[in-house]
Amino acid sequence: MKNKIGQEEMVGFALIMIMVAVILLIFLSFSLKSSGKEIVESYEVESFIESLLQYTSDCEDNLEYLSIQKLIFDCNDDKICLDERNTCDVLNLTLKDIIKESWNVEGDTPIKGYEFKIIIEGEEMLLIKEGNITKSYKEAMQDFSRRGEDYELFFKTFY
Amino acid sequence: MIKRKKAQLKIQQMAFMLMAVTLFFVMVGMFILVFKFSGLKESATLIEEKNAMLLVTKLANSPEFSCGEAFGSNRINCIDSDKVMMLKGKIAKYSEFWGVAEIKIRKIYPNNENIICTPGNYGNCGIIEVLSKDVNKLPPASNFVSLCKKESYNDEFYDKCELARFMVSSEDKR
Repeated sequence: MKNKIGQEEMVGFALIMIMVAVILLIFLSFSLKSSGKEIVESYEVESFIESLLQYTSDCEDNLEYLSIQKLIFDCNDDKICLDERNTCDVLNLTLKDIIKESWNVEGDTPIKGYEFKIIIEGEEMLLIKEGNITKSYKEAMQDFSRRGEDYELFFKTFY
Repeated sequence: MIKRKKAQLKIQQMAFMLMAVTLFFVMVGMFILVFKFSGLKESATLIEEKNAMLLVTKLANSPEFSCGEAFGSNRINCIDSDKVMMLKGKIAKYSEFWGVAEIKIRKIYPNNENIICTPGNYGNCGIIEVLSKDVNKLPPASNFVSLCKKESYNDEFYDKCELARFMVSSEDKR
C-alpha cells in the first residue's frame, strides 16, 4: 500500500518535471526565433525606387541622356529618343533589366517575386511582374508631379 | 509507536521532496542564467548589425560620399563615384573614422561582374573597395544607391548615374 502511494508521488513529480521542461523548450524556441534579421528591409525597397529614378538610360534627347524619371515624362508625352527608339520601349526594357538584376527571383533565392507599377493620374501606365506572389512582402511608393499631373511609382517585393 | 514511525516517514518523504524541488529550481535557474549570458553576445552582434544598417544610409548621404549638388539638385542616396575614388586613395587617414571594418560599393546595373576598380580601369569595373580592414567581418548591411559620375562624350561632359549597392560590414567581435 505504502509502496503504491510512493510510486504515485514519483509519477506525479516526473510529470511536473516533464511539463516544466516542455514549457522551457517552447520559451527557448520563441526567443531564438525572434532574434532573426528580415530578408528584405523596408529601407532597401524605398532606396531602390529613389535610386532607380536617377539611373541614366541610353536614350538621348537634344540636351542629355535621360534619367528614368525623365524617360517616364517623355514616354507619357509620346516622345522618341535621338536614335528614333520609342521612349516607352526604352523605359520598359531598361526597367525590366534593372529590376531583374537587383531582385533575382530565379533559382533558390529568398526573393520569390516582385511587382512594379507606374500610375499616372490614377491610370496604370506600366506594370512589370515576375515570380510568385506570397503573403510576406515589402512595399515602397514614390510620387512626384509635373505640369499638374501626378505620377506614382509602386514597388513590391515578395519573399 | 506505529503512528510515530509513520509520521517520521512522512517528514522524511517531505524533506526529500523539498530537496528535489529545490534542486530542480536551482538547475532551472542556472539554465536560464547560462541562456541569458549567451544571449548577451548575440544581442551585441545584433546591435552591431543594426548599427551597420543605420550607418549605411547615414554614410551614403554623408559629405565624403554624397553627390551634393554636383549633379544638379540635391539628390538622396546618390554617391559621387569620382569623389569615392579620390577617398579610396587616402583611406589610411579615414580607417578609424566610421568605426566599421569594410565599405564596398558594388555596381548592379550595368553589371560589370567582380572587377575591382582601380584608377586604371575606373569606368569599366564592378566593385569599389573603399575600406577593408584585416579583421573578421559580419555579413554586410547594404542599401541601394545611385552611383554618379561625370562622363565625357564628343568633348562634352554629362552626368551618368548607375545603380549600385552600398555595403558596410562591422567587425565580428565573437
